[in-house]
Amino acid sequence: MSDVNNGISRRSVLKGAAIGGAGLVAGGSLLAGCGKKQVTGDVHFTIRGNLSDAGAKIAIAANDAYTKKTGNKVISQAVNSDDFQNNFVQILQGTPDDAFGWMAGWRTNARADAGLLADVSDQVKALGSSLSAAAIQGATNPSDGKQYIIPTTYYPWGLHYRKSTMQELGLNPESIATWDDLIKLCEATQKKGLVGYALGDKGGWEAMGTFDILNMRLNGYQFHIDLLNGKEKWTDAKVVDVFTHMGQLIPYMNKNVLDISWDGMRDLLLQKKCGAMMMGSWFANDFKAKSQADYDDLWIVPFPEINPEHGIDSIDAPLDGISVAANGKNVEGGADLAGFLGSKEGIDAAVAAGDTNIYISSDFDTSTYDAFNKQKLEVLGAAKNIGFFLDRDTRGDFAGPVVGPAIQSFLKNPKDLTKILESTQAQWDALPAL
Amino acid sequence: MVQNKDYKNKQKVKDNFISAIIGFFAFVWIFPILWTLWTSLRPYNDIISYGVFSWPRHLNLDNYFQAFRVMGLSKYFLNTLYVMVPSVILILFLGSLIAFVVSRYSFRFNLTLLLFFTAGNMLPTIATYIPVFWLYIKIGDLFGNRSLLYNNYFGIILIHVAFQVGFATFVLSSYMKTVPKEISESAILDGCSVFRHYWDVMLPLLRPPLAALGVLMSCWIYNDFFWALILMSEDSKRPVTSALRQLQGQYVTDFNLLAAGASIVAAPTIILFLVLRKQFVSGLTLGSTKG
Amino acid sequence: MKTAAVNKNVRSRRSLSRNDRFTLSAFVGIPTLLQVVFLWGPTLITVALSFTYWNGINVGDIKWAGLANYKNIFFGSPVFYDALKNNVVWLLWFTFIATPLGILLAYQFDRKIKGHQIYETIFYMPVVLSLAIIGIIWNFMLQPGGFLQGVMGRDIGNALSIWGNYDINSYVIMAIASWRHIGYIMLLYLAGLKAFDSSLREASAIDGATEWQTFRKIIFPTMRPVNVIILVITIIDSLRAFDLVYIIYGTSTAWPLLNILAFQNFAGQGISMKGAAYSVIALVLCVVPILVYLRIVFKEDLE
Repeated sequence: MSDVNNGISRRSVLKGAAIGGAGLVAGGSLLAGCGKKQVTGDVHFTIRGNLSDAGAKIAIAANDAYTKKTGNKVISQAVNSDDFQNNFVQILQGTPDDAFGWMAGWRTNARADAGLLADVSDQVKALGSSLSAAAIQGATNPSDGKQYIIPTTYYPWGLHYRKSTMQELGLNPESIATWDDLIKLCEATQKKGLVGYALGDKGGWEAMGTFDILNMRLNGYQFHIDLLNGKEKWTDAKVVDVFTHMGQLIPYMNKNVLDISWDGMRDLLLQKKCGAMMMGSWFANDFKAKSQADYDDLWIVPFPEINPEHGIDSIDAPLDGISVAANGKNVEGGADLAGFLGSKEGIDAAVAAGDTNIYISSDFDTSTYDAFNKQKLEVLGAAKNIGFFLDRDTRGDFAGPVVGPAIQSFLKNPKDLTKILESTQAQWDALPAL
Repeated sequence: MVQNKDYKNKQKVKDNFISAIIGFFAFVWIFPILWTLWTSLRPYNDIISYGVFSWPRHLNLDNYFQAFRVMGLSKYFLNTLYVMVPSVILILFLGSLIAFVVSRYSFRFNLTLLLFFTAGNMLPTIATYIPVFWLYIKIGDLFGNRSLLYNNYFGIILIHVAFQVGFATFVLSSYMKTVPKEISESAILDGCSVFRHYWDVMLPLLRPPLAALGVLMSCWIYNDFFWALILMSEDSKRPVTSALRQLQGQYVTDFNLLAAGASIVAAPTIILFLVLRKQFVSGLTLGSTKG
Repeated sequence: MKTAAVNKNVRSRRSLSRNDRFTLSAFVGIPTLLQVVFLWGPTLITVALSFTYWNGINVGDIKWAGLANYKNIFFGSPVFYDALKNNVVWLLWFTFIATPLGILLAYQFDRKIKGHQIYETIFYMPVVLSLAIIGIIWNFMLQPGGFLQGVMGRDIGNALSIWGNYDINSYVIMAIASWRHIGYIMLLYLAGLKAFDSSLREASAIDGATEWQTFRKIIFPTMRPVNVIILVITIIDSLRAFDLVYIIYGTSTAWPLLNILAFQNFAGQGISMKGAAYSVIALVLCVVPILVYLRIVFKEDLE
């Protein structure tokens, strides 16, 4: 399972790119321009999502900047994200667009091994020192040492809340230092008529964020990664401990957990109907699109420490980027576009269009970060070990079809925990060798 | 006789009662559709300002015009036509060919063919899409063009034809059994070739079931959204029912616009049904109960 | 008579011209080829794949697995039993509630009670709608901010949980599925009733039998072939159920069905041939109903 066993060393310094990135401005990207032959031709780009999403508008703006620079037209289409991922293997074997937004980790590396993605190592090299060693490592396929994704944005998973709501309640999430503090916060929020711990697991993956962080807090990053790679057992008492803690949160969750997906969670926060929400920060663009006031009201803190042995040394911070299809009509054009989107000009265009995400490139001037982004960096900085999220850190045929339903079953019937864990382990054992 | 009249009156009262109850349920039945139509007629701003159940201050077709403008519905409708028309024609044509042979000529394989075609129509076909996809790619590679079948109208047409031709065969062969054998016999005696037997003699007689089948097939293929979702990777080529998935995500918060869009997409089949009800019914009759 | 017999013999003994044979071959060959290559072929390939390990990408990676996928499903996948349960619920609901209601409606409409024309149209209308549209329509009815929630006075924040509420979600899904199924069965049965001899009904009415008795003792038993066909269609549609639940839940198996499991394991990020195995299980369950259907419908030809 070498392709998913990304040890501490690779990830542990990933966040360093963020802190260390401040200050380096123009130097890195100049290298991108020289010595490269001019690529021409239309490039097709797939945006995962809807054209009305804030993210889509940002992507189109960045693509337009590419067109302005190179004169190559970029034809973007929006595809429902679920449908794109469901049919990914077919689309990539058929007639895919040249480039698309994608996710680093197993989803890139396994597909690269199968020959579906184009090698973009040259573009990564051209981005030079704007990408830290850790960033490049995050994008590298362990099986052949090449890169198949140009890393762009990443975000932490943490407890989000609205400052105004917390103020009204007279509570201070920044002061949560222990598990008991978190429970007390949820209790207090609940007493005031709001949802204490918002969660929507209709999609089957949202609750993995809670599982991941509980596992990393209670049992440490190494155990978490080992569990996802089959080196530890799901029936272990440590895993039972994780679910027991999750069970303690259930009374404070919204009653319709299995009814809503991640966007339902976001809406609960947007409409001030909940206190804390454990999620990745990518949705902040939607807050900004609604109003600047909403965006300024948003805040994030790391999930509190539970086990002093591990403190808050780990976090999920998935890395996203741009990948190029090996079967696209214009592979070179796709790679060129991908490289551009990872470079200073691409990033600047995205930010100018309203992107609030953190870019891993050091070309992005973090001194211009707003308060929320600075807080995100702080949250990231507090962690030594970085996970990519359960469904990117383990095999695809285990995460979605097995762990997803297992957590959903638990949320439905916490009493069935032993049965659920036994069957999860049995299904891991039954997986064919990759 | 008196007893009869009494009985008939009692029955009439009972019947009116039954009619009233069914009438109530009919209203409940059609309510969701009415609610959607109602939602589509109200401007978005009204709902935002006054709430969903507020008394309507404005009722207009604005949402419909906007739906056409922003949802690109005309493009998707065109795609639907590209898929639907050739599919229906091919299904009727190919189905009639097989039905013709098995009902007018006695070959040993007749029954077997009929059984296979009919059974084929009833298989659960969801999971066959990976082999179908793989087939499409391989065939495409054979001809040097990967999107000969995949991501191509031609591919969707083929899959619809393959899946529905069994039903057409069954219906048409049932019907052809009711056409007197003498007609065929005299045609053959006259020296008709097989082709002319089919084209000049049988085909004209098949108008009723072909019409019925045409209506049914058009409805089914128009309504399908799954195959186009799987076999078309470009959203701009998808038929209108598949595009609804994308549109639903896009306009998920603008209920009124989405309602208008859904109403527009639903309109063709509803109109088809209202206008051509007889064909619908006869198509289903022939197809299921071997009337 | 004799002439006809002679003619018949002449026809069968007369050999077909080469052109005719070619035409016949084409007539039979082309549709059959299409069916075999694009329907039966993929079905058989799916069956074969269910006995392998494969990730769906490179054909060279296919490895023999024997019964491993099936063992995994039967002994290691609790969600399979949840799906079976839901398929059974679907089947039972359709068989004992939805289909009988359709039959009852058909009978009343056949008696031409007041307003039957309009009623027929209304009850059948959901059948002509695409499931994509049905999903949107019912979302308007049930989602937060929709009709039902509004009537209950619940806004988006405290909307009644429906899809995730396991006490009621099965009923809701079955209600929506029935919304469509009842109209379909109604029309089929109505068509069958029209072929029924009305004089029999008149006769029993004069004898003083109530409508209900007439239906139970005379009409229903005589409609036996139609009844069986309706039953078979009900069963097969229950086993083939997919579209509606896919629209509501996507591929998350929050409310699993056999075909949803098949698709979830055959698509997405984690493709495995377990999906093929699920599909084969659904296929096997359909075999008996399909055979029964064929026997009834081709009764004369088979004898």
